[in-house]
Amino acid sequence: MKRPSSTLREFRRQYSMHIFVWCGMLFLLLFSLIPMLGIVIAFNNYKIKTGFAGMLQGPWVGFKNFADFLNHRKFGVLVRNTLSISVLKLIFAFPLPIFFAIIITEMKGKIFKRLVQTASYLPHFISWTIVAGILHAFFSTNTGMLNELLINLGVITDPIPVLISEEWYYTLAVVSEMWKETGWNAIIYLAAIAGIDPTLYESAQIDGAGRIKRIWHITLPCILPTISVLLIMQIGYLFGANFDQAMLLGNNLNLARSEIIEVFVYNLGLNQGRYSLAAAAGLFQSVISLILVIVANNVSRKLSGASLF
Amino acid sequence: MFGKKNKNMIRPTMEDHIVDTFSWVFCILLFIVTVYPFYYVIIMSLNDGVDALRGGIYFWPRKFTLDNYTQFLNDAKWITAIGVTVAKTIVGTTLTVLFTCMVAYGLSHEGLLFRKFYNIILLICMYFSGGLIPYYLVLRAYGLLNTFWVYVIPTMFSTYYCMLAISFFRDIPADLKESARLDGANELTIFLRIILPLSKALLATLALFAAVGQWNAWSDTAFYAPGNKSLRTLGYLMREVIIQNQVDTSSRQAMMHASQHSTVTATSVQMAAMIIAVLPIMCVYPFLQKYFVKGIMLGAVKG
Repeated sequence: MKRPSSTLREFRRQYSMHIFVWCGMLFLLLFSLIPMLGIVIAFNNYKIKTGFAGMLQGPWVGFKNFADFLNHRKFGVLVRNTLSISVLKLIFAFPLPIFFAIIITEMKGKIFKRLVQTASYLPHFISWTIVAGILHAFFSTNTGMLNELLINLGVITDPIPVLISEEWYYTLAVVSEMWKETGWNAIIYLAAIAGIDPTLYESAQIDGAGRIKRIWHITLPCILPTISVLLIMQIGYLFGANFDQAMLLGNNLNLARSEIIEVFVYNLGLNQGRYSLAAAAGLFQSVISLILVIVANNVSRKLSGASLF
Repeated sequence: MFGKKNKNMIRPTMEDHIVDTFSWVFCILLFIVTVYPFYYVIIMSLNDGVDALRGGIYFWPRKFTLDNYTQFLNDAKWITAIGVTVAKTIVGTTLTVLFTCMVAYGLSHEGLLFRKFYNIILLICMYFSGGLIPYYLVLRAYGLLNTFWVYVIPTMFSTYYCMLAISFFRDIPADLKESARLDGANELTIFLRIILPLSKALLATLALFAAVGQWNAWSDTAFYAPGNKSLRTLGYLMREVIIQNQVDTSSRQAMMHASQHSTVTATSVQMAAMIIAVLPIMCVYPFLQKYFVKGIMLGAVKG
């Protein structure tokens, strides 16, 4: 233990560092910690005209806002949509980057490999707005290129209402997510594969293991910890779907499938001014997500030893 | 699936062959699926809008025209939006990168007192938030709503970028800072003159992420500045147009009839707008690619 005087001297020597840090801490206080305190409005009946101070005051209603949300006529639909979209993404979109990373490592053509990789990250940097525009260009019922092509080829007689029907929305959400994020999500697996000791492959080859056996018995086990960690994070997101996607691909015609909890919170809070109920719905979602992460983390630690915290 | 095939193939060369062919086919398909949509939007944006309603354009423009772009760029609403978006991207990115790096530099100092306390605050803010509604009410209380500052001030600091930067700064040899300190430089000078120039990979990564985020954002306008028409951004207007076109199910004939005195349609102008919105990203991103892949790894390995 240092004596107080030497701590003070040390502090004086590094005080400018602390000024840098305090700038950040002040920012976090203003834009992160105070909003966290603001969550108390989920437990009262906040009216916007009482201003900022009114958030911490009354009239306290306990868990009434949560009860109102659970009894809301949309509650069942919101939870069904949020969970269905996330679970479908977990099943179909989660494994694809692993597969893609393995395939790209097996690729021989160096230049083409680089080209494919560069192209595959691109959609990640494009906003959902543009993705929605592209989808419109291909799947619109009146001007969509794919609908037109299929009609011209005689495969279908009427255009497929991919963007404007309830039945298609889940597929649309999952496939568009795959298109946008597969390449980007593969980066982390590519790094994990690049970090595998090459002598493992060499000795396996000498022992007569073919390419597929090497992938199955070396590559996959070596990246399993990475897969586990990403899976835990994904499970933490299960009770939340992609807000941008829902706002861009959702419309009045597919609302019954595209409305998720985040969209509900936004409409109720910012458009209708029912702040307390919206905050309660948001908090409900966060708490469930937190529980999911903790459970997934503990299960993963017990099963494979990999954990986030 | 592959395991069964493998047992039948005795010669390893045959298996190699299959894996190679399969990976080529898969990658070519993936390349087409990724790149063709962008290409298609480009050719449609360069084609006469009314002519495009006849369909059948797959590989190149049939009736070349720049009308879609001139129509788009003659609309004052869009010009304002481009101006606001450029301004918020430049100001926002500069603020985010400099401020976050400054804080991270302080936190990366060896032997920093109270580090544990600072780290706890940082982690709490990284993993928890009050959610949209309290955040909105707080910004409202600060008087930021419907001002330009709401785009750039709340995004000034990011805990995630801060973590990336701390691990990057820790790898810079302490001797460099020490010798500058002996020469009498103060910490701000050291940060600006020595640390930042050594951190180009980090700066490029953070700048790319921050700039793409600012450029693409539509929700910041929708949430925090919907009341101020002069603050509409490209992303926000684009969303309005796209949602409108999405639910428009009028037939091709009706659309042709509606625009018979013009060469453009809502769809063709939308294509031009989309190209203008993705152009800056497409131009910058290939050059920064090597940096951000490195930057992500940094976070992945140490974070």
